[in-house]
Amino acid sequence: MYNHFSNTLTIFLGLLVEAIPFLLLGVIFSGVLMLFVPQGRLVAILPKHPALGALCGSMGGFLFPVCECGNVPVARRLLFQGAPVSVALGFLLAAPTVNPIVLWATWTAFRDQPEIVLLRLGFSVGITTAIAWLFSVLGSPQQLLQPDLARQQPKPIPLGTYWLGEKVPLQAPPLPWPQRWRQLGQTMGQEVQELGGVMVLGALGAALVQEFIPREWILHLGQGPVSSVVAMMVLATVVSMCSTVDAFFALSFASTFTSGSLLAFLVFGPMIDLKAMGLMVSIFPPRLVFYMFVLAAQLTFLLTVFLNLYVI
Amino acid sequence: MVVKGIGVLALAAWGALLLKYWLTNQLDLLINPNYTFLAVGAGFILLVLAGVKVWAPPLTDHRGIFPPGWSSLLLVLAAGVGLVTTPHVFTSQTALARGLGTPTLETRVRPQAFHLEIQSQQRTLVDWVRTLAVYPEPDAYDGQLANIKGFVAYPPQLPPGYLMLSRFVITCCAADAYPVGMPVRLAPDHPPYPKDSWLSVQGRMATEVIDGERRLVLHAHTTTPIPQPRNPYEY
Repeated sequence: MYNHFSNTLTIFLGLLVEAIPFLLLGVIFSGVLMLFVPQGRLVAILPKHPALGALCGSMGGFLFPVCECGNVPVARRLLFQGAPVSVALGFLLAAPTVNPIVLWATWTAFRDQPEIVLLRLGFSVGITTAIAWLFSVLGSPQQLLQPDLARQQPKPIPLGTYWLGEKVPLQAPPLPWPQRWRQLGQTMGQEVQELGGVMVLGALGAALVQEFIPREWILHLGQGPVSSVVAMMVLATVVSMCSTVDAFFALSFASTFTSGSLLAFLVFGPMIDLKAMGLMVSIFPPRLVFYMFVLAAQLTFLLTVFLNLYVI
Repeated sequence: MVVKGIGVLALAAWGALLLKYWLTNQLDLLINPNYTFLAVGAGFILLVLAGVKVWAPPLTDHRGIFPPGWSSLLLVLAAGVGLVTTPHVFTSQTALARGLGTPTLETRVRPQAFHLEIQSQQRTLVDWVRTLAVYPEPDAYDGQLANIKGFVAYPPQLPPGYLMLSRFVITCCAADAYPVGMPVRLAPDHPPYPKDSWLSVQGRMATEVIDGERRLVLHAHTTTPIPQPRNPYEY
């Protein structure tokens, strides 16, 4: 029992020590957005159509290359700045995979199997765009988001009488730079506190599951075309690994697991894992995070099993 | 005021914890050394953010899912646990739970060509496992000399007189550590070593059938107990 307790503690602290720098990186990107992109500007330039918005958000990782700890502060900031839900959700789910650092790492690991790199990119963009599109047309921001984020979303213009040419300031004038830098420091600290606490719970859950469900059981789920996909998806959820290096971990299974199952690990893990689910609850209600988890799992499973059975 | 105090404490405690792990060489027990600079940088930044929070007036808008102060309290508690405990080195029991001895757990790179560029005695345990993963025919290594170090584990499929010399490999952090091992046949009538003890083993490779599977086994000529290395993991 002592061994289980010590292992759980070590895994828990290992996850946090590895994740906090990346959370901080996301908070820095979030601060850059706050500092350099005036509120309302994003609303003006981002696509309004849910499908286009979802696709645009899915590609956002090329602009802000963050893993599954850093994506949450940036997605929250996008919503605070008034970005559509489709864009923020597309970014949240795709950025940990669809970004140059992760693609380069995947290329390094699977240099002699370029199809893994291309399919990882293609499946991730396809699945995340589909989910972001679906969620953004199914409900209003008030139904989809945590209340404090929903309040930041643009509201429809209320009915009434307006004078033509009436000058109404759309936003407060920008603060002077010294004040902006101080606000940046304060906001960064506050975001680390708000998201860090949630991450502590996520890491604790991941550590407990990992210690008390032996990895051997997961691997013994099987290595057939279907069972291998299930095994690697469960492993991805439990291990909660940073997307910047997950390709090297997947490589250690390349000799015995199917290519489809390796892809399932590489596509599903960065989207939703136990550690990230804690952070996602800071944006969406738990019920919606669960639906996203189920939908992402189903789409990943179908695509990678199809690949195993009919393509590779 | 209390909420602000807990917030400052949360940032400062995590900054201090990351720097403590760095200064006491314990970071290597938790994360891959490639991430050391990130953890150390984050430690300093968190201390700066704590300083900013001390001097700046508190932000009025609260946007978290917990009531004010609760999230910071969780961070303080987690950092407190880290500050008063020492990271645990994984044991043979964990290695067995993580599939030691299962042929699926092999770290592998796929080279364009296969050349043996180093003397067999210079290969580490992980080098041997990686080499086997690339070219798994045990007969190819028959008779080669080996000199490897690791901790002792006893997977149930090993017959008496054998042990599994093992190491953990960390890709990213302790959560993904996975075990690799090489079966070692001890000299006849040699008493078994206690599990988790560290050994340096010199011997010659041979092919044997263990649990119905042809495997490369190190026939030990010399086994020397050694202390656990400062950093027991491979990366």
